[in-house]
Amino acid sequence: MNDLIPLMVIIPIIAAILLNLFNKNNSTVKILSFVVAIVLPIIPLLANYGTYYFGGHAPLTDYGTFLSLFPNSILNTLHIGITYSYGSMQQILIFFLFIIAFLAILTTIGERKKISGTYMFLMFMGLASVVAMLLSDDIFHLYIFFEIVIIAQVGIVLASNHKEKYETAMKYMILGSIGGPMLLTGIGFLLALVGSVNITDIVHVVKNGLINSYSPIFLLSFGLIFFGWLYSVGLPPFHTIKSDMYSKATPSGSALLQTLSVIIFISIGLAIFRIYNGISYVGTFIIFFSLAAMILSISMALTETDFRRIIGFLAVGELGYLGIGFGIGTKLSLTAALFQGLNEIIITALLFIGFGTTLYLSKTSEINKLGGLIENNPKTGVMVLIGGFALAGVPPLNGFQSKVMLIQSALDKGFPELAIIMILISIVTFMTFIKIFHSIYLKPKPKDLIIEDNKIPKSTTFTMGVLIIMCIVLGLMPSLVVNGFNAFIGGLI
Amino acid sequence: MINTQLAALLTSGSFIIIGLYAAIFLDNIIKKIIGLSFIEEGANLFLITLAYRADGIVPIFLSGMNPQWFAENSAYPLPQALVLTSIVIGASTLAVMLAIAMVLYKKHGSLSTDEILGDKNE
Repeated sequence: MNDLIPLMVIIPIIAAILLNLFNKNNSTVKILSFVVAIVLPIIPLLANYGTYYFGGHAPLTDYGTFLSLFPNSILNTLHIGITYSYGSMQQILIFFLFIIAFLAILTTIGERKKISGTYMFLMFMGLASVVAMLLSDDIFHLYIFFEIVIIAQVGIVLASNHKEKYETAMKYMILGSIGGPMLLTGIGFLLALVGSVNITDIVHVVKNGLINSYSPIFLLSFGLIFFGWLYSVGLPPFHTIKSDMYSKATPSGSALLQTLSVIIFISIGLAIFRIYNGISYVGTFIIFFSLAAMILSISMALTETDFRRIIGFLAVGELGYLGIGFGIGTKLSLTAALFQGLNEIIITALLFIGFGTTLYLSKTSEINKLGGLIENNPKTGVMVLIGGFALAGVPPLNGFQSKVMLIQSALDKGFPELAIIMILISIVTFMTFIKIFHSIYLKPKPKDLIIEDNKIPKSTTFTMGVLIIMCIVLGLMPSLVVNGFNAFIGGLI
Repeated sequence: MINTQLAALLTSGSFIIIGLYAAIFLDNIIKKIIGLSFIEEGANLFLITLAYRADGIVPIFLSGMNPQWFAENSAYPLPQALVLTSIVIGASTLAVMLAIAMVLYKKHGSLSTDEILGDKNE
C-alpha cells in the first residue's frame, strides 16, 4: 500500500482545486470540505511504512546499464527522483495533523453561515504542503512547499475580518521573500558541494567525509538554511510577526496556522539536524535561538492586553521547547521534541478555538474590556482551563509528559541550567495563562460589556471536547505515540 | 570561458545585495517588492550558474553516445529543473505581494511603508 503515501498530498491538493472551482456554491463547499476532511485521517492509518519514488525513479543503484560504466562512483547510490519516506513519525504526525485540520474545518463550518471555497482552498493547500514537507526526503521539495505554505498562511490571515490583516500579511510576505531565497541559496550551496538535493544523499556524502563539514561553503549553506528556518517557524527575530499572524486570523485559522508552523519546524529542523549534525556548534545555535524565543515571547505576552496576541506569543514561545530538544540532540531529547511538537499542535488549537469563543460572544479581544464570562459560558471556561493546564505542563496532561522528557534529557546531557529555564518558563506561562483566564472569565463583568449571543456552536464545543480527550489520553498513555517517535529517532541517530 | 561562470556568480551576488538594500532601506513599497524580486532572481541565477559547463552540451543522453564523454561534457540538468519551479513560485509570491500592495494603497492612499506598515498602525 505504498501507493497511498503520495495520496496524502494529492487528495488535499485535488480537494483544494475543486473547492476553489465551486467557490460560489456554499453547500457544495461545505459537503466537499467535510467529506475530504473526514477521509484524510484514514489514509495514514492504512498506508504501509516505506518509500515512494516519484516517476518510479528508484536510486540509481537499481539500474544496471548506464551506471555499470562507473562501478566505484558515488552516483550508484544517488536518488535521481523525488523520494517520499513514510515511517512511524510521519504516520503519527500526519494522522494528528489531519484530525486537527478536520476539527478546524468543522469549527469553521459550524461558526459561519457562508463558507468561502477560496478559504477552504487555502486550508487544504496548507495542509498538503506540510504533509509533503514531512514526507519528502528532498530538500528542494521542502523549499517549494515551504513557499506554498507561506502563501497559504497569508491567505488564511487575509480571510479574517481583522482591520489590520493586510498590513500584517504584507510584513510577513516581505520577510518571507527574504527568508525564502536565503533558504534557496543555502540549498544551492549544498547542491554545489554534493550534486544532489536528496537529504539521504547529502547525509551520505557528509558522513563519509567526502566533503569537509567545516568548509566555508558548507557553513554558509548552514547559515542560509538556518535563517530560512528561523523565519518559517517564527523564532527570533521573527517571533513578533509570527504571533502577529496568529492574532489576525480567525480562531480556527490560528489553530491551523500554528499546526502548520510546528510541522514546518519539525520537517526543516530534522533536515538541518541530519545534514549539519557533524558541526559541533549547531546544537548551541539552535538552543540559543530557542531560549531567546521562549524568553522574548513570554516577556511580550506579559505586557499585552489582547488575548489573541498573548496566545500567539505563548504559542511561539512553546516552539522554543522543540528547539531545545533538537539542540540537545540526544535520542531522548529528539523524541521529547517530537512529542512536544504534537502536544503543542493539540493544546494551542484548543486554546485558539477556546478563547475564540470569547471573541465570538463579545466581539472584542481586549482583556480589559472583558470579564465574568464564566456565568455565560461555564462549559467552555472549564475546557479552556484544562487547555491552559496542559500548556503549562500540569500533570497528568500531555504537556507535562513531554516537558518532563525534555527536562530529563537536558539533565542527562549535563545542562541543568536548561532544565531550570524550562521549568521557570513553564511557571511564567502558567501565570500568564491564569492572568488571561481571570480577566476573561473570573473578574466581575464590566457594565458596558454586551454579550450578543450566548450559544456557542455545537461543532466548536465538540472540537474542544475532542482536543481535551487527546490531551488527557496522551498524558495518561504517552507510549501511544512516544514509542513511534522513539523508533524513528533510533533509526536517525 | 570559465569567466562566464564567475561573471554570472558575481552578478547573482550583486542582485542579492542590491535586492537586500532595496528591501531594507527603501521606503516605497513597490521599490521594496522590486528589491525582493532581485533577491529571488539572484538566487535563481546562482542555481543556474552551478549547472553551467564551458563548451558543454545539452544534457540529453542519446543512443550511440559515449557515456563517459557525455558525463564529462553535458551541463548539469538538475539546477535547471529546480530553477524552473523556483521561477513559478517566485511569480506567485510576487503576484500576491502586488495584490496586497494595491489594497494597502487604496486603504491608506500612500505607498510609503513608514505610513502603511509603521507601528502607528499596530
